[in-house]
Amino acid sequence: MDWQGRWRAALRRIEQAGYGANVYDAYTAAGPALWRNIGPGAAVDLGRSVSYVAIRSGKRAAALLPPAAVEASERLAKPEHFARWLETVDALAKQAPRYVPLLLERTGRLLGVLDIQAFIAFVRMGLSIGRSDNERGRAFFSLASAEALRLLGDGGVEAFADRRAALQAYLTALWAIHPPLVEVPADAPEHLRRRPGFGGGGIRLPSAFAGFSADDQTALYRAALAHIGAHHRFSRTTFPSFGLKPLQIALTSLIEDARVERLAMAAMPGLRRLWGRFHMARPEGAPVAIALMARLSRALFDSDYVDPHGWVEKGRRLFDTEAASDITDPQLSRRIGGLLGNDIGQMRLQFDARAYVVQPAYRDDNLGLWHFDPQEDLPPLEMDAVFEGAVVTRQDGDGGRSETDPDAGHSAGKLRQGCDDEGIVSARYPEYDYLSGHFRPAWCTVREVAPAMGTAAATAVLRDTRSDLVERLSALMRSARISRQERVKRQPDGEYLDVDASIAAMVSRRVGEMPDTRIYGRYERRSRDISVLLLIDVSRSTADTTRDGAARVIDVERLAVSVMARAMESLGDPFAVAAFCSNTRDDVRYCRIKDFGQPFDERCMGRLAGLAGDFSTRLGPVIRHGGHYLRGQGTYRRLLLIVTDGEPSDIDVDDRQYLVEDARTAVRDLKRDGMDVFCVTLDSGAESAAERIFGRKWSLAISSPDELPQRLPQLYLRLRS
Amino acid sequence: MAGQRKGAHVSMMDAYRIAEEPYYRDVGHEVELFRAAYDSRTPVMLKGPTGCGKTRFVEHMAWRLGRPLITVSCHEDMTASDLVGRYLLDAEGTVWHDGPLTLAVRHGAICYLDEIVEARQDTTVVIHSLTDDRRILPLEKKNEVVAAHPDFHVVISYNPGYQSVLKDLKESTKQRFGAIAFAYPDPAIEAEIVSREAGIERGMADKLVRIAERSRNLRGKGLEEGASTRVLINAGRLIAKGVPPDRACQFAMVVPITDDPDMRDALAGAIDACL
Repeated sequence: MDWQGRWRAALRRIEQAGYGANVYDAYTAAGPALWRNIGPGAAVDLGRSVSYVAIRSGKRAAALLPPAAVEASERLAKPEHFARWLETVDALAKQAPRYVPLLLERTGRLLGVLDIQAFIAFVRMGLSIGRSDNERGRAFFSLASAEALRLLGDGGVEAFADRRAALQAYLTALWAIHPPLVEVPADAPEHLRRRPGFGGGGIRLPSAFAGFSADDQTALYRAALAHIGAHHRFSRTTFPSFGLKPLQIALTSLIEDARVERLAMAAMPGLRRLWGRFHMARPEGAPVAIALMARLSRALFDSDYVDPHGWVEKGRRLFDTEAASDITDPQLSRRIGGLLGNDIGQMRLQFDARAYVVQPAYRDDNLGLWHFDPQEDLPPLEMDAVFEGAVVTRQDGDGGRSETDPDAGHSAGKLRQGCDDEGIVSARYPEYDYLSGHFRPAWCTVREVAPAMGTAAATAVLRDTRSDLVERLSALMRSARISRQERVKRQPDGEYLDVDASIAAMVSRRVGEMPDTRIYGRYERRSRDISVLLLIDVSRSTADTTRDGAARVIDVERLAVSVMARAMESLGDPFAVAAFCSNTRDDVRYCRIKDFGQPFDERCMGRLAGLAGDFSTRLGPVIRHGGHYLRGQGTYRRLLLIVTDGEPSDIDVDDRQYLVEDARTAVRDLKRDGMDVFCVTLDSGAESAAERIFGRKWSLAISSPDELPQRLPQLYLRLRS
Repeated sequence: MAGQRKGAHVSMMDAYRIAEEPYYRDVGHEVELFRAAYDSRTPVMLKGPTGCGKTRFVEHMAWRLGRPLITVSCHEDMTASDLVGRYLLDAEGTVWHDGPLTLAVRHGAICYLDEIVEARQDTTVVIHSLTDDRRILPLEKKNEVVAAHPDFHVVISYNPGYQSVLKDLKESTKQRFGAIAFAYPDPAIEAEIVSREAGIERGMADKLVRIAERSRNLRGKGLEEGASTRVLINAGRLIAKGVPPDRACQFAMVVPITDDPDMRDALAGAIDACL
């Protein structure tokens, strides 16, 4: 049969199947376009998929498919790419038919940004999210969730992560302060995403400044940090908001902004250029309160700016007079803000606190300047913002998790004994999806949680027992020579002639003395120049007993770690200890027990004793986070030593291979950066993926700390090479 | 013969004399202290970060006191014979060559051991017999004991920032010295120094000092060490030659100090804010 005939047959099938006129019409209309764009085969194949989608997802979805296919055929030039697109839609219809209409409606937007490979990765990711949480899956496929937008490269999320280190250093350089910079999540309320802010010991920055070009973004971030730093230095105290109207609060903040900027520019005149470009208010337009305030901001900043409005000029005059007498007094802002607020009232201008946004864009929302009394009846905008500001690092995941996973609620109660309940978000790391061969950007959130202290008795066990093992291990480590090669001179044998020694020997011969025969030199590793980060797996499975049933895995881990730590402490090698577990990708917990440069003292041992097993093991982000700490060490070798009990797992992932491959990638990345990753597996009888992740020579399995002295030389031997 | 050799050495010493006054701005009472220490021949240790004026200070004091100055930059591979001297071979046989320390001891120079912790501890012990009341230097190989010239004086310097367990002076070495701690001078004084040394206006020097403060804020937070006074002078000299200030700062204060793109970015921002 020729293509015409096959097309007619396909049409007839759809018509007779009774999916309704909408489906039939859509297919009829799409056929010629597909024929033209891709070929007759595509038009015929689509018929099969339309039937399938109609059966799985319903008539509405089936009617959406033909126009989406036309759109895909325009974006995907190659026939094989179009075929894969169609296959992906079929696969989604098979596995999660409810998402098909959502996906089809957004075909144009998705394929505008993603190539076919990335499109397939997108669908797979959505499937994996939707499997554990229907609502989140729905949000993902409707492109409403932050993770979906991140994948589309919207919102500049990656951009902020890339900028963070430079911005942090910029802030430290300018103002000698280093509060953490937190990115406001893309799904936070609108008013938090518009402007930067500070308070609670940190600074929050929007993922991007809406409406500005890419070039301006860097300048805006810098301007924002320079401005907030100026508040830190010159505002010092917070103002009580008691009895003040929103307008007075806004005006006082505006004057205070101008005051600290003037002080900052006295010290750093270049800031005028940085800030000045964003003061774009013009003396025109209707004299509404919000516009006048933007103009006042500019008038106070820019002495060349001329404004015909009396209120703006009055503001400038008041400010200049007060500034001339004592600009260092923050109360000046209160006084002028109050006066100008009354004037606005007398002019009968409306001030809409909800619509008000601080101008220019780099200035913070001023919530950090104010001390709000919680009993006070405040405009809802401010109240929301204050509380949101305090919890901006928390994510909305908790409620959703306990619904879908009854276990999570139960273990959260337990966790509070072990770790602080929420912890600080300290980093987001990508995760590797081996199926698509792509990294999922900013996929895992690592929180640093505060450790709990163990009982005195448990601490004493870690401190006092097994000194014999400590001694054997420290003897072993002491003899390990891990350092750069050094030149050793004046040796009886060696690989090169020591010129100095040879001359000395000749001299001795000439003067008739017995020459020293040690005239060779060689290269040797003589010292130990290594820093070690010990990571302890404290997931739920470590509460099981070891294979011989003699003790719990976590107790063995604890003892092994304390023995190694005591040995390293006695040798003075730099090392750090941390524990980890995870509860979905949003909550990878990292608990620092001992930092580099800190002594391994009673408190560290107390923290070690206080570890309790809970949650799962997500190795990848932990390895990346540990690598982040280890990277700063200036030693010859840097070793990440992981003590775990088996293979990675987490409740939001059902493909075991996925976490193994991600961990493998993390290990590979660390090795590429010149770090070593070694794994000690405690043999609990569980299947171990250690060899796959770390490599056969970079992992070893033990069942009790007693085996360490025999087995650890394997590690040191590897480090020598 | 002996007279001739001595004469040769005296003229050789002239090479170590400092003819012109090296500019040095007294910030504490270090000139006074050093002079008193020299008068009592108490060995002096100069501590402070790199580029804050330790070496310049020694040169200045050598000029003030009219003594020749022999400087040794210490390094890891330095042996005791690099300091003391050794036999070398020539056509006729073996010849003894005095090392820099022996030269200073014989002829009454100030011997300045720069960055002494870089040398191994067993090397630095050769100065022990010179830094207590014995004031002698035994030349083991030559079977000679050299008594120090009355004008001989030992000065060492080190940068506490580089200190580690591996690289520190022996307690017995440390306790033979009096110490003067150096730091970057107050902004006003530092600007005065930069302005004079680089030959730029005071206003520009003030700006450079402000930039330096910004970069010193990053010490230990991405930078090993902030911009030193020396670096500021380098930048200032370029500016005096007509190089635009931001480019001069990049050249002298950013690119040499760090390779981290984030740090460079932050420093560029700080420079921009201060100019």
